[in-house]
Amino acid sequence: MSSSGSARTVDARLSGFATLPWRRIILVVLGSTIAFVTVAGAYKTLTLPEGERYSGDFWIDQVVNGLGQGAILALIALGYTLVYGILRMINFAHGEVFMAGAFISFFFADAYLKSGFLDSNTYLALLILLIVSIAGSTLVAVLLERIAYRPLRNAPRLVPLITAIGASLFIANAFRGFFGPQPYGYPLPTLLQGSIGIFGISVAKVQLLVFVTAIVAMVALQLFVNRSRTGRSMRAVAEDSEIASLMGINVDRIVVITFVVGGILAGIAGVLFALTFQQVQFTMGFKPGIAAFTAAVLGGIGSIGGAALGGFVLGVLQAVGPPLLLTGFGIPSPFSLKDAFVFLVLILVLVFRPGGLLGSGEAEKV
Amino acid sequence: MRAAVRIGAIAGIVTIFLAAVGLIGNFTELNLIGTQVTFAGVMIVTPPLLAGYVAITPRIEAGRLIELGRGQALAAGATAGVLAGAVFGAFVIFVDTFGVERIREVFINISPVLMDYLTQGHPAIVAAAILVAVSVVAGTAGAGYRTLPDPVRRPLGTAVWVTLLFGFLQRIVPIALDQLEVERDWMYSKVTGGLTWVGATVIAAVAAAASVLKARKGDAIRGAIRGQRDRRADGARLTPLTFALMLVGLAVVLIAPHVLGSVISEVLGTVMVFALLGLGLNIVVGYAGLLDLGYVFFFTLGAYSLALLTGATLNTFVGSTEPAIAFNLNFYVAIPIVVLIAAGAGVLIGAPVLRLRGDYLALVTLGLGEMIVVLVTSPWLEPLVGGPQGMRDITNAAVGNFGFRDPKHFYYLAFAFVVLALFVSWRLANSRVGRAWTALREDEQVADAMGVSTTAYKLLAFAMGGAIGSVGGALFAVKIGSLTPASFTVLVSIQVLGIVILGGIGSLPGVIVGSLVLVGLPGLLREFEEYRLLAYGAALVAVMLLRPAGLIPNVRRSRELKDEDREQDKWASDVAADEHVATPITPLGEGAG
Amino acid sequence: MKRRPWLTVIATVAALALVASACSNDDDGGDAGDGDTETAAADEFGTIEVAAGEPINIGTLMVISGADAALGQDSQNGAVLAADYLDGAFDGTDGQLLGHDIQWSHEDELCTAEGGQAGGTALAADPSVVAVIGTSCSSAALGVADTIMSEKGILLFSPSNTNPALTSEEAHQPFYARTAHNDRIQGAIVAEYALNEQGATKLATIHDESPYTQGLTAAAAVNFEAGDGTVTVQEQINSEDTDFKPLLRSIAEGDPDVLYAPVFVAACSLILKQAEEIMPDVTIMASDGCMSSDTLKNAGDAVDGVFLSSPDISVFQEGEFYSNEFIPAYQEQFGTEPTSVFHAHAFDATNVLFDAIEQVAVENDDGSLSIPRTALRDAVFATSGYEGLTGIITCTELGDCATDVTIGIFEGPNWPVEGGAKPDTPVYSDTKSLDDVL
Repeated sequence: MSSSGSARTVDARLSGFATLPWRRIILVVLGSTIAFVTVAGAYKTLTLPEGERYSGDFWIDQVVNGLGQGAILALIALGYTLVYGILRMINFAHGEVFMAGAFISFFFADAYLKSGFLDSNTYLALLILLIVSIAGSTLVAVLLERIAYRPLRNAPRLVPLITAIGASLFIANAFRGFFGPQPYGYPLPTLLQGSIGIFGISVAKVQLLVFVTAIVAMVALQLFVNRSRTGRSMRAVAEDSEIASLMGINVDRIVVITFVVGGILAGIAGVLFALTFQQVQFTMGFKPGIAAFTAAVLGGIGSIGGAALGGFVLGVLQAVGPPLLLTGFGIPSPFSLKDAFVFLVLILVLVFRPGGLLGSGEAEKV
Repeated sequence: MRAAVRIGAIAGIVTIFLAAVGLIGNFTELNLIGTQVTFAGVMIVTPPLLAGYVAITPRIEAGRLIELGRGQALAAGATAGVLAGAVFGAFVIFVDTFGVERIREVFINISPVLMDYLTQGHPAIVAAAILVAVSVVAGTAGAGYRTLPDPVRRPLGTAVWVTLLFGFLQRIVPIALDQLEVERDWMYSKVTGGLTWVGATVIAAVAAAASVLKARKGDAIRGAIRGQRDRRADGARLTPLTFALMLVGLAVVLIAPHVLGSVISEVLGTVMVFALLGLGLNIVVGYAGLLDLGYVFFFTLGAYSLALLTGATLNTFVGSTEPAIAFNLNFYVAIPIVVLIAAGAGVLIGAPVLRLRGDYLALVTLGLGEMIVVLVTSPWLEPLVGGPQGMRDITNAAVGNFGFRDPKHFYYLAFAFVVLALFVSWRLANSRVGRAWTALREDEQVADAMGVSTTAYKLLAFAMGGAIGSVGGALFAVKIGSLTPASFTVLVSIQVLGIVILGGIGSLPGVIVGSLVLVGLPGLLREFEEYRLLAYGAALVAVMLLRPAGLIPNVRRSRELKDEDREQDKWASDVAADEHVATPITPLGEGAG
Repeated sequence: MKRRPWLTVIATVAALALVASACSNDDDGGDAGDGDTETAAADEFGTIEVAAGEPINIGTLMVISGADAALGQDSQNGAVLAADYLDGAFDGTDGQLLGHDIQWSHEDELCTAEGGQAGGTALAADPSVVAVIGTSCSSAALGVADTIMSEKGILLFSPSNTNPALTSEEAHQPFYARTAHNDRIQGAIVAEYALNEQGATKLATIHDESPYTQGLTAAAAVNFEAGDGTVTVQEQINSEDTDFKPLLRSIAEGDPDVLYAPVFVAACSLILKQAEEIMPDVTIMASDGCMSSDTLKNAGDAVDGVFLSSPDISVFQEGEFYSNEFIPAYQEQFGTEPTSVFHAHAFDATNVLFDAIEQVAVENDDGSLSIPRTALRDAVFATSGYEGLTGIITCTELGDCATDVTIGIFEGPNWPVEGGAKPDTPVYSDTKSLDDVL
């Protein structure tokens, strides 16, 4: 054990060390390197010899792909951001909320396919599927809040996080126990099959539906949060729950409503996802869940616009990033690295803008 | 009474859940005691039993503590049982009416086997009635159990769960007994697979006796140990008692492999590796309070670094080939290098990342874990680490002619490292560094204001934890002898986190116990493999809700958990009420220790 | 007082040293080490003694839980049926081998290396286990179970491992053999079909993070290039991904004629559907991993014109035995049609094993059996011209017993699985041996 004298020197040295503008230096160096590598990679990819280069159509298609995927991510990300804004907690199980809705709606979809109802009354069938999915997701979300999160409302941050992870594992594996580990094919109504041309770009009908629905849902959510009384209460609770409760707002009720809204969005996303990929499986919640959370953080968690932006940015990043930046350097199979790529981008964004793209530039303490 | 109704109904739903998930239908043949007590039977009886127990929890109504008298309690228990049985019975009738085969198309585990077991050949209505009757008995028993006086209740409870546990461990205990060459056919029947009634009675009696003994002498010992632990937690030295206990424990641990045979040693080897990982993560999460969800990063880094440093080769579809960068060092020379690499990586990555606030840090570390797994599987790094095919011929850490891949030998190697890590952790906890970490954990802003260099100490924790994790990975590589990316998943991070949390954040013996429970048990109970993650998730949630301090709480940390905030009071007092701690919590947070 | 902790450490080290030296006394010289120990594995492995009236203990090591349970359970069933057939008929009662019953020790390998190690250790620790039929997944065998078994002299006979590395010069373990085909053959036949029958000049491949799919695409690529084709790109995916559109779009840029994506059902169904949109003119090929009724259900019309490669048992399926006796017995005993392709291989492996046991076991006067381990292994490896369900079985020195492998190419939706259209005969079939391929 060192004496306090030398310890003070050690501490002084350590803190002296830290107050040098090290951080700024490193950030600048890091930033320039990243910028350089990015530009170099893109340049090399775009100037590959004729036979190896990607066509212009390719980039357009990838952007469209990315936006389609991004729309679904944005919808899920909104659920994360809402809950985080109110409770300051990451609802790790939100991915399973999304999965639950999709999975439950599958059984109805399958029945409708077999009976022919899906194609004879497509709009009605889709509406029912949407309602079922929303109901399923919302039920799971509300149960989660009631059983796993409410008792831990005031616990140190680590506790609800672990609970959320446990709940996520539990729900996913419960569905596996109920319905089996295999993937189930989700039917696509004939009406939604095929593509249409928009401004000369071929877009799959489903992709268009996803995109439009996502935008509508986001606008509706924004209106709800900004204009309605409940929305005002939600914003109040997000700001400071103690004062909000002193002002007469029933915090518990608001929290439940938040989870319900998150559940609704997740349910919608679930059906859209199922229609896009025509497949549901008990594992389908995990990756999109993480991706959506990444999107929410990327855009700036706690902000609706941030979640939406983050979703679309992430979608496009996944589709365009790897081929653009990695092919130039001769890295084989760039898409196999897309997950790593996305996380790298996240880390870099957080290093330079700790609040995310739309967040403030300062790191929030506590 | 309303509570009893509600809880009973919930218990019924839980039983339906158990049936739908397959925990009843797939275990109708798993005999625990004789052929009468099967696992399926236990699954059916436990929810109403617990409902009865929980239904009579003393509650605070209008500012007064309400406790039920004996008669009322039994009535409440019975009510809960009735509800539970009714709900489940209704389910049975429903399935029977609707047709099992049709329901099976959706819920694959609601099978004819299940229905046969539940109805036992009777028509559905009769079966439902029987289930209600059984549930009433169970509910009443649960309530009655709770109203028993302590000297009777404790031994009874201990006897029951220990006996059931022994029945459950029917694949492990007989093997151990066989290894010890102890006659065991009187205890475990070769025909049914489970305990015999004779064996069960004996075990129950011994457990009850032990419980009585513990009650009498236990308080004295526990007080002494707690006194020791308190003093140790505040930086005191080891005392003779603790030292003696440690030596005894050491002897037991050292003889274990020879006594228990290679099958159990193999599982214990994995337990040791995960205990090592747990100790590393304990430093990051437990001591420094950093939310690290990507511990698999260091695990993978360590495993692959060791492989590359000690001359492992890459699997290819035609055989094997040399990695792009290969060294052929001895294991014992390579390990310090692995440590350095990990520490270096920890510092390099930690520097930009550790200043992020808690939740962001969790996500980023999760991402890092994913990143390294992606990299290690990728075609890009295939010439270095073998891609999906992985690597082979990892060193067996031989000293002379004595190799460590045999399960019994590996156990000792792993154990040595665990002891080292325990020692390092223990010293750290009670050192200046440990106190700095505590300050960091309690309130980062204040610590910073007091001159504690938060960045440096965070980095230190991250790097040290990472170094230990990497050694764990290296040992894992030695144990298996082969590396495939399939072994390195996000689930590893979650498992290690679970070990640290379940055992008790910041508690060293807790990590060991956590590893034994979360890695050892599933490793030995392979027939439950399908339900492992389900049980895992449920366990995590349950522990957080009921006993967040973990199985073997670190005394200081559990005080912290209760002291956190004035707002914690409500939460903490709920916890206290469940643990029957009589001391009230005052607004200033002076909790019971 | 301050010195105490150090004393503990010293005491530990000392104790460990003592124990270690004690250990090295009761083992015979420590581990056998890594790599091929063919020369060292003389007759030191001893004999298994089966007392009179005691059963012969055969182990199985398959993946019987989790997502791949259908694969492992199916093989296990095939092995168990062989015991039934010992008495010459599928009657639900096992026959006897040299007057002894057969007892099974089933273990789970979880389709991972750790699982292979755990299950393998459990079986290897049991001195009464004569041999093990397993594993299902190559990752459980390669470097893990095969080494554990070979170190104890227990034969590991796989009905299902197709990874070429397992029987390669560098990696083969002396006590490992398999009746499953070597994927180098399957990859070669896929390449041959693409080159010759489809007239393809450009091939793209997709594999996932499992060694099985990567081995297949590597073999296909190598043979395709040897036939003067060009491999445009070899992509890797994660089997849990859902969105393959960007990847497929990228592959489409290279304008391949054939896309070979031998991945598993979940990813395969998705790829088939998405490829139909993005590259409708490219011929898609896949292999056993995709050959499932689930794919037919999930991918729907997208399976039309998709070519799957798989062992062609139709050659022997025409034979009465398989369809008229084996399959009905399977359904009778296990309540379902076979869920995977390797049950027949398991049946063959077990029968070859039984024959070998009959050959080398010494029947003692007191009614007990002595089965020498190395002789048993040698007898199995000496098998030649054995007519099994899956073809002629002749074992090579490196353990490949399916020497002449017939792979069929099946065009969707006429796949030989439940829900597949009839007739489910292959549109192309070829038989090769290891010497014919790269």
